[in-house]
Amino acid sequence: MKDLKHLYYFERLLEDAHNDLVRQAQGEGKLCIAYTCENVPEPLLNLGGTFSARLRAPRTGSMEMGTYYMTSFLCEYSRALLERAIEGGFNFADCIITPDGCSMMNRCVENMELLKTMDKEKFFYEYMEVPMKADDNGLNLYVLQCKNHILKPLSQHYGIDTSDAAIRKAVEEHNRVCRLIRAIGEYRKGEKPTITGYEYHIITMATYAAPKYLIIDKLEQTLEELKTRQPDARSPFRARVVLVGSEMDDVDVVKLIEDSGAYVCADRYCYGSFPGRDPIVLTDDEDALTQICRQYMYRGQCPRFMNQAKIQQRRSYVAGLAKEYGADGIIYEQVKFCDPWAYEKMVGSHVLREDFGYPVLSVDRPYSIGVSGQLRTRVQAFVESIEIKKLQGGAKNG
Amino acid sequence: MAKEVGMDRLGDFYTGGKVRKRREWRGFRDTMYDYWRWLHIMGTLAGFIIKPRNIKAMFRYRWMANYLAVPMMVDRHTQGLRDEYLRICHLEQDLVIEDVAKLLDNLFRGDRRIGNDKEFSKKVVLVDENEMTAVLMGFPTVKGLSRETPSTYVSVLLNQHAAEHYIDVAQEFGLAGDVCPMPEAEAGVSIDDDAPVLGACAIQCNTTCDGSLMGNGVISKRLELEDGIPCFQLAAPLRHREDDVQEYAAQEVRNAIAFIEEHTGEKWDWDYYFECAKRVNISTRYRMDWLDMNKTDYPQVFGSNLALYTETNYMAICGKIPAFVETDRKIMKLAQQAYKAKRKMAKEYRHRAIVWGVQSHFYMDFLLWILNCWGIVPLTDMLSMVSTKMLCEENTPEGREQAIYDIAWLTENMIMRNRTHGGYKVLLDELWDFVEEFNADMVILWEHMSCKALDGMHGMFEEKAREKGIHLVWVTHDLFDPRITSRQGVRDQVNRYMRSVLQEEPLDPTLEIIDDEHSW
Repeated sequence: MKDLKHLYYFERLLEDAHNDLVRQAQGEGKLCIAYTCENVPEPLLNLGGTFSARLRAPRTGSMEMGTYYMTSFLCEYSRALLERAIEGGFNFADCIITPDGCSMMNRCVENMELLKTMDKEKFFYEYMEVPMKADDNGLNLYVLQCKNHILKPLSQHYGIDTSDAAIRKAVEEHNRVCRLIRAIGEYRKGEKPTITGYEYHIITMATYAAPKYLIIDKLEQTLEELKTRQPDARSPFRARVVLVGSEMDDVDVVKLIEDSGAYVCADRYCYGSFPGRDPIVLTDDEDALTQICRQYMYRGQCPRFMNQAKIQQRRSYVAGLAKEYGADGIIYEQVKFCDPWAYEKMVGSHVLREDFGYPVLSVDRPYSIGVSGQLRTRVQAFVESIEIKKLQGGAKNG
Repeated sequence: MAKEVGMDRLGDFYTGGKVRKRREWRGFRDTMYDYWRWLHIMGTLAGFIIKPRNIKAMFRYRWMANYLAVPMMVDRHTQGLRDEYLRICHLEQDLVIEDVAKLLDNLFRGDRRIGNDKEFSKKVVLVDENEMTAVLMGFPTVKGLSRETPSTYVSVLLNQHAAEHYIDVAQEFGLAGDVCPMPEAEAGVSIDDDAPVLGACAIQCNTTCDGSLMGNGVISKRLELEDGIPCFQLAAPLRHREDDVQEYAAQEVRNAIAFIEEHTGEKWDWDYYFECAKRVNISTRYRMDWLDMNKTDYPQVFGSNLALYTETNYMAICGKIPAFVETDRKIMKLAQQAYKAKRKMAKEYRHRAIVWGVQSHFYMDFLLWILNCWGIVPLTDMLSMVSTKMLCEENTPEGREQAIYDIAWLTENMIMRNRTHGGYKVLLDELWDFVEEFNADMVILWEHMSCKALDGMHGMFEEKAREKGIHLVWVTHDLFDPRITSRQGVRDQVNRYMRSVLQEEPLDPTLEIIDDEHSW
């Protein structure tokens, strides 16, 4: 296929956490709210005068300092972030808001605080408690925590307007991005998709890493371009897969999977588009904050949601995506040392295989994968097994 | 063979086999006492095993074989002990053993595969191993039973290799090998379908860590979806010191109580709750007194027995069994007696240590080893530094409202998670406060390698220790799995520090290297 006009631009944005658009927005006087977990409602970080930036550590090499402070048993994502913070790579941020989503991320940010890695005068850290069950009690907690650990500090430290009207305006902008990402994602559905999983991953990730209002025009142009983009005459892909698992910063992972013959037709990982780019539906009969929290909580696919109904729903959600996007198989992945996804991957792999009849590949990976012969071999073997199953008459024949 | 403390060469007792060469001679009086208590333990075991259903369970459940090692476990915890220390240890250990024997008996009574007592089972609520049972403090007729306590937790105390099979089962099922082996083994038991099946319902809790929370999902899948036992997931806030999570925690408790009422048909009894709350407060006061005593030159109630006893009394009992208060009183009497006599547990105390982090479960008697081998006094440990808050004892409308918050507080502050979660202050900062309070010159820091919350503070522990001039001895292990770091591997880390950094010689050189790899 012909290259997407803005793909290189999006790729460039992802090469540095302090990217050009972050600099531009700060140059315009906006404050950068850094965050580390998808459970922090994004629109609340994008109020008038602020924009959100998901902390990432692209081009990570050595993690020796991160490893010294947190040992080699913590996931490389958390270690890479700490390393980058110690190096001064996040000094552009004006605050960090983080939930105790997982122990590792919590410790990562606590180390940043204890090591005094951020040097802005008014910089602050906020730690949130986010619900582990989706119910009314959880919603009350979520709303209170967002008030106390996002809205109040932003208002008190920086005088940000946190009114209902300001939140609704932020949701509008958020939804605009979500709808564009959704629309772009629709081009993955056809038999001959006109966007690769890699391209989609890059574009989606850019919406988390850059101020939204500065990226919308490029998203619109990309969507327009896709309308007329011609697929390759002969597809290089031999199977379609849904990619499920923990956060994936490394652009090479999806690339490697696709180079091995598996087209990533849907993304169900932290900071992916499902459910992260679901638009938020607001009505006028309730305050916006409560509605945002409710939707984040009920649609959330984070493995830390612990009630069985929610656990079951996570697996049927993946099966639903596989069906909708015509997947032949599912790849469950986890960043090594991630406890929540280690368990989710184990049970999910069995459930999707045994209860839903999908072939499943289960892999763990480092934060920064580069070129991995092991992963390539496993994906290639998985693709071959799917092809053999197809030849033999589908999953029902083993 | 000696009556005096510290005169035995304790390492000579090890044979390389499962059990030690012979029993210790502690002088006539103490040997007879120890032997009498040994007979008492054998009596408890005999009383358990004469019931046909319990014999059946011995053959049904793989982990039951570990209970043959009960006397050996007590012997490991009494090594070198004399006088009041020996008696305190037996009071603690023997009561815990009786409690576990009752737990097993009840589990098999209701187990659909063994006793299948349906009426009994209707009044059973299953709880997690690492869960505060405070939410049952108002149900006098409901039995809160933990299946994981006997299948994995106690099993590993008895036999260091007990969990290996279940860890392997979980990993063969697809679980990554880098998670905490405790919830991993518990999940393995569930995957292996090797747990008793009983109960009207289950109350699970996001106990100590992400691994425990996720392991519960595996267990509840079998419980709810296959065994038809409804589960309530009690979500205790992680940031337990924050005011703005307490209402959430309290509502979780209210919901859990309503769930138990619905599924057992029993009603919450406030009189019984406040009776239990009074007992919790009595136990808390005793524990505080023991800790105060440990701040002096003559600590009396300390070491692995304190950790094990506190864990049982604080978390599993929660005031529901009066015998624990009675035992607290007896321990206190003995401790005061020993304190007045300026008695010491070892022949020489060289270092005063706070033991921090998550202890190696397959080597709980390690604290006795550091004392006997190197003269390091384990003044207190992280598992014993739990809530000292007094519960409301007034059965009034206001008191009842406060009680819900008290239950929530206890649930949030269950052992281990009260330190590993809730922000770095409770894990890091408060350690140095305790070091000062207890006048310690050393910290033995268990580094349970799969405990992410603990590992995540590794560098800060080191920096603070250097800053404060405290000897920090790292002891790395993998909690339930001695294949990763053996008992000798654990000891070697201390041996190296004591010899190379402090350049000291051991009090008992026979203990420096022990052939106990195959020992229970």
